[in-house]
Amino acid sequence: MNDSFITLDNLAIGYGNVPVFSNISLSIARGSFTAILGSNGSGKSTLLKTLLGIQPPLAGHIHFPKSNDDSAVFGYVPQTIQFDPLYLLTGFDVALMGVYQRIGPGRFVSKAERTFVYECLRATDAEKFSTKQFSDLSGGQKQRVLIARALAVKSNVLVLDEPTAGVDAAATHSLMEFISQIHEERKLTILLVTHDLPLVRKHVQQIIWLHQGKLLTGTVAELLTPERMAEIFEMEMN
Amino acid sequence: MDTLREIFAPDFLLRNSLYISVLIGVACPLVGVFLVLRRLVFMGVALPQISSTGVAVSLSIPMWFGILQPEHAASIEHALAFTGSIVFSLAAVLTLAFLERRGRGSPEGRLGTAYAVATAISILLLSKNRYAEVGWLDLLKGEIITVSTFDLTLTAFVLGLVLAVLGLFQKELLLVSFDRAMAITLGKNVVFWDVLLYLLIGLTVSMAVLSVGPLVAFGFLLIPALIAHSFARNMRQFAFIASAIGGASAVIGFWIAYRWDYPVGPTDVALLGVGYAIGICAVKTRNLLGHRKKALVS
Repeated sequence: MNDSFITLDNLAIGYGNVPVFSNISLSIARGSFTAILGSNGSGKSTLLKTLLGIQPPLAGHIHFPKSNDDSAVFGYVPQTIQFDPLYLLTGFDVALMGVYQRIGPGRFVSKAERTFVYECLRATDAEKFSTKQFSDLSGGQKQRVLIARALAVKSNVLVLDEPTAGVDAAATHSLMEFISQIHEERKLTILLVTHDLPLVRKHVQQIIWLHQGKLLTGTVAELLTPERMAEIFEMEMN
Repeated sequence: MDTLREIFAPDFLLRNSLYISVLIGVACPLVGVFLVLRRLVFMGVALPQISSTGVAVSLSIPMWFGILQPEHAASIEHALAFTGSIVFSLAAVLTLAFLERRGRGSPEGRLGTAYAVATAISILLLSKNRYAEVGWLDLLKGEIITVSTFDLTLTAFVLGLVLAVLGLFQKELLLVSFDRAMAITLGKNVVFWDVLLYLLIGLTVSMAVLSVGPLVAFGFLLIPALIAHSFARNMRQFAFIASAIGGASAVIGFWIAYRWDYPVGPTDVALLGVGYAIGICAVKTRNLLGHRKKALVS
């Protein structure tokens, strides 16, 4: 659990030339379950996008394992609100996109890959949504399809951007139980952006807390104590 | 029926016009599907107009500078028009796409301005070039009468190429359009795929404008796709229904225009408009019946 899998070295993140957060130096352990916390606009999603290569870093470096057998393969689970309902895609169509990395341009998806996508949908209990319109699914159902898509990538790092946003309490509980379960079973490294502290307390091991340009890292036991929480919230209020 | 038999006869005088209408009718909606999905409907309006301005500019400039005399223009006007249309379409589509990617300003404002300015330039050029006036007016009105076999072959080749590329790379184009962030994490070169899609849109618009004019090009690009979206259940159906509506409208529109002596282009677009209205009514009726059925069950 303690070997460093992803290392951020003096990273500055932001858009254009405007930094949102600077001097980020931390390590994410292999197989860890890490939550990224912080108030709105603190840079959580920007950090995630920079890790995924969607947004280039303004300064600093991100180090991944050098060996090909051991490389970090990201499975990205974005917020469901970003998807345009105009696209007439079924749950299966969306999950199928996960295998596109392994299929060259202009080539068709093989039967074996399709079967694998069905297996991923089954693993996330989303097989029943495979023929339904993705835009018609509820928030929790969409998240399961998107996690299936991330598994179809054959990822070893699952990156979830506020997966429980807009999801009701029962579905949130079920979804988080499921994420914890696949974390255990598949030994995935999980990075989760959330605002939900009770969920973090229950499921997460490590915390990265971004606030007011300062970075706090530690375990749940270290950071979610009443004293530290009061200190953090007081700093945010100020 | 006699008129239908006549227009489908192999020796029909205007057969090239019919064939080119059907080609545009079948191909444009397939590109239009991406315009609708990417919410670029205004681009579908502005691009044909910009493309026709390219035709006007390319034909006017050589005459202004005395390089080309009006009496010799006919021999190379198609080459000039083709070049002007392609250059303006591709330059416009790439510029608009670049500005959209930067995400600053109002895309609708840019497209609206581009449309208005392109229309104004076309009219200004028309007013100062008496030689081209008649031909351009036909183009703007959508008169599809004189289509040479060379034009038909060129259009068929270019549109065939566009459809082949769309079909071959549809999974990449769809992924980049639907979930750009995911495409980047999968290592896809999203800029390349965006540029390819915009090139295909630009090529299709150019060929459609040269063949049937900006009004008909716009009609076939967007209206079939908008109708099809209400009835399709998946992307394959969406593309197939849009293309079928475009092809059928081209044939029926040509038949109506020939039978009652109307200009073909506006007839096609008016027919698509009727189809759109019928489509909306059908969707409303379907939704109403669905609600009633649900109410009865509950």
